[in-house]
Amino acid sequence: MVSRTIEMPFQKSEPAERTLDQLEVGARATVRAVKGRGRTTVRLLEMGFVPGVEVALVKRAPLGDPLELRLRGFHVSLRRAEARAVEVVQ
Amino acid sequence: MSEALRIAVAGNPNVGKTSLFNLLTGSRYKVGNYPGITVETREGRLRGASSSPAPILIDLPGTYSLTPTAEDEAAAFRSLTGAELRPPDAVLLVLDASNLARNLYLALQVFELGLPCVIALNMIDLAREAGIEIDPERLEATLGIPVVPTVARTGEGVEAVAKVLDGLGGRGAIRHAASLGLSAEGGVAEACSTPSTAALRLLPLDENPSARRRVGLHHGPLGRTRSLEPRLLEPAAEQADLREILAALEGAGCGPARARWLLAARAAESVELCDPSEGEQQALERLPAEAVDRAIRELVELRYAEVDRLLAQLEIVERPSEASSAPAMAASARIDAVLTHRVLGPAVFLLVMALIFQSIFSWAEPLMGLIESGIGSLSEAVAAALGPGTFTDLLTEGVIAGVGNVVVFVPQIALLFLFIGLLEDSGYMARAAFIVDRVMAKVGLNGKAFVPLLSGYACAIPAIMSTRTISSFKDRVVTILMIPFMSCSARLPVYTLIIGALFVANERVLGPFTQGGLILLGMYLLSTVSALVLGAIYKRTLLKGPVPPLVLELPPYRLPRVRDTLRQVWDRTADFLRDAGTIILAVTIVLWGLLTYPKVDEADLQPGETAIERSIAGSAGKALEPALEPIGQDWRIGIGLIGSFAAREVLVSTLGLVYGIEGADEDDTPLREAITTAKRVDGSPRYTPLSGLALMVFFVYACQCMSTLAVVRRETRSWKWPAFMLVSMTVIAYLAALLVFQVGRLLGY
Repeated sequence: MVSRTIEMPFQKSEPAERTLDQLEVGARATVRAVKGRGRTTVRLLEMGFVPGVEVALVKRAPLGDPLELRLRGFHVSLRRAEARAVEVVQ
Repeated sequence: MSEALRIAVAGNPNVGKTSLFNLLTGSRYKVGNYPGITVETREGRLRGASSSPAPILIDLPGTYSLTPTAEDEAAAFRSLTGAELRPPDAVLLVLDASNLARNLYLALQVFELGLPCVIALNMIDLAREAGIEIDPERLEATLGIPVVPTVARTGEGVEAVAKVLDGLGGRGAIRHAASLGLSAEGGVAEACSTPSTAALRLLPLDENPSARRRVGLHHGPLGRTRSLEPRLLEPAAEQADLREILAALEGAGCGPARARWLLAARAAESVELCDPSEGEQQALERLPAEAVDRAIRELVELRYAEVDRLLAQLEIVERPSEASSAPAMAASARIDAVLTHRVLGPAVFLLVMALIFQSIFSWAEPLMGLIESGIGSLSEAVAAALGPGTFTDLLTEGVIAGVGNVVVFVPQIALLFLFIGLLEDSGYMARAAFIVDRVMAKVGLNGKAFVPLLSGYACAIPAIMSTRTISSFKDRVVTILMIPFMSCSARLPVYTLIIGALFVANERVLGPFTQGGLILLGMYLLSTVSALVLGAIYKRTLLKGPVPPLVLELPPYRLPRVRDTLRQVWDRTADFLRDAGTIILAVTIVLWGLLTYPKVDEADLQPGETAIERSIAGSAGKALEPALEPIGQDWRIGIGLIGSFAAREVLVSTLGLVYGIEGADEDDTPLREAITTAKRVDGSPRYTPLSGLALMVFFVYACQCMSTLAVVRRETRSWKWPAFMLVSMTVIAYLAALLVFQVGRLLGY
């Protein structure tokens, strides 16, 4: 049974929850859910940010934003604002 | 003779799709814009095909998915589903062997189309180097679709792909095979006798009969490539929202595959790109937003679960490693230790950008000089051969000068696209966007807008053409509207003329800085700040849209394939010559006419009067004087403004004509003196430093460049944006010059 972990933007997330932008460089975590709706959300999902997938924060860009992430065997860059929509558990 | 088979070439970006397409078509293709949007598709015939007519390959834009969230995905989606033209008859799917975990997602979407499919498993060498063992035979057996391992960089496996595609036969053959049915074992036995059977022996599968049995593959190529029934993943029992929504859409009359696309399009807020019927539209509107949000997650999860199932079946698992980079990225990570390093990264970035800028700003110069002198000699030769006369003037000052105005851009365009092509293919362009995105995001654009904007300092023409790397149309237009404000090299002769004539250029102001240098710096700063501010305004008003997401892949570094890059350079240049060139040529001839007619006899001229004053442009300049006075200019400058619509630097030679000075564009000293000493009737100087400053500010903002407008029309495919650009830039320029002159006067200058 798959538990419903989809959060609507108006719902408050648990304080213990971490989002992808809060990871330290080199840290790994498992995706729990992608919040929000619309194009960017669909984009994130289709690039492979689905529940259960492992992600790692490889690097921050020289100016601090965006982030370089590893998932499903490739590297992808997300802005912190976009990474904030991805809930993870470590 | 049957109709040619149309085969779409689909795949993720950075998988070597274009290289493969070039090899398969022998680089003989035509570039076509997809109707209505600005994404390119290319069409070429399969080289060396035995079937007649040879199959046509259509190179689609590289995409990660078929859900239309951006223009390139929409183009791929519409092309594959046949929204404008008929859908293709088959798909050549190019997958990156080193990254199946993501590439298979697109593959599953392609399978939903129900089109015969062939897979080119590209970059198999890089996958092996990265320690990812993929057995093409097993992939073929697992998917039930022919898989050919390829290395497009070296050409390995390309012949085998060509033979499989050739073996698909004509459209009739595919239909015939379809009618026979897939499950009838041996039902397409005749297909065995087609020439393609031999070709298929090249496939590893044919040496491995057991693999054949495992998946119950069929005789002959058609059976094996066929999947004419869409392959759809059925929602799991607990995926209630997905089930309900698919049922609702199917109830509205759309097929099960289409129901999935419509759901995804609805979630991505791009339903219009799917051309929904009225019934579908109503059904979509009835769907509760929350259910759609859950259903799209279920759909994507369902597909990725299938990808993971396939990977497990193929025994491809990402080995958990302590290394922070993915296996295929191990070598790239070492390069990135420098290229995206906190300190070294920006330094290398600035160096690369300086190189690009230098190349179009000054390395193109000798070539441009060569073209200009060549055009000059041609003009002289034609004039000498035909003798003086109106027709000769039309030919030399209109047509040949017009051709020169077009061709002179070629070195800059070619150099810029050569650099961009090499940087994109090598994988560096993604890093450049990664480094500079923070800065660009402030304007509301993503990092990909940086190179076009930078190039704008050299010349707006290649810069505007290079906005094609920006995937959102709105963001492209914002960038295009910003570029002409960047102080291009054609403004320099104008600034130097005015500074030289009306200011004490060499007077020291601050330490080593002179008046001339500081004024010039001021103009560059003004143009940069204005471009950024106006871009931010356009982005928030006229072309309102969210800050584009930066879901940007950082692909492994690779040596670029120079032949493909050169092909692209040629395509872009030819495209410019054909489309924008004709407009530039026509406007040159019209401007020549305006500045030349009606002709007057030299003897009829008053003392001090020049022939250009009597021309249409001359009269127009005089008529404009009441409007020019408030910004500190007179009708002579008015004529100059009309002439310099051809290109900003033409102001110098046009003013030369007004003041009766020959060759002002080669050496502007006599013209400077004429401007410095020009007096009004009352004896006061005609031009002051303040009026000079106002004129320079006017040139910072004004769109005095027909070639820019021609290229904008080409890139946006309508006259709407060039018209907006011309009007808005002229209005801004006038208001800014007015502000400078009037405020300056109030301050007593």
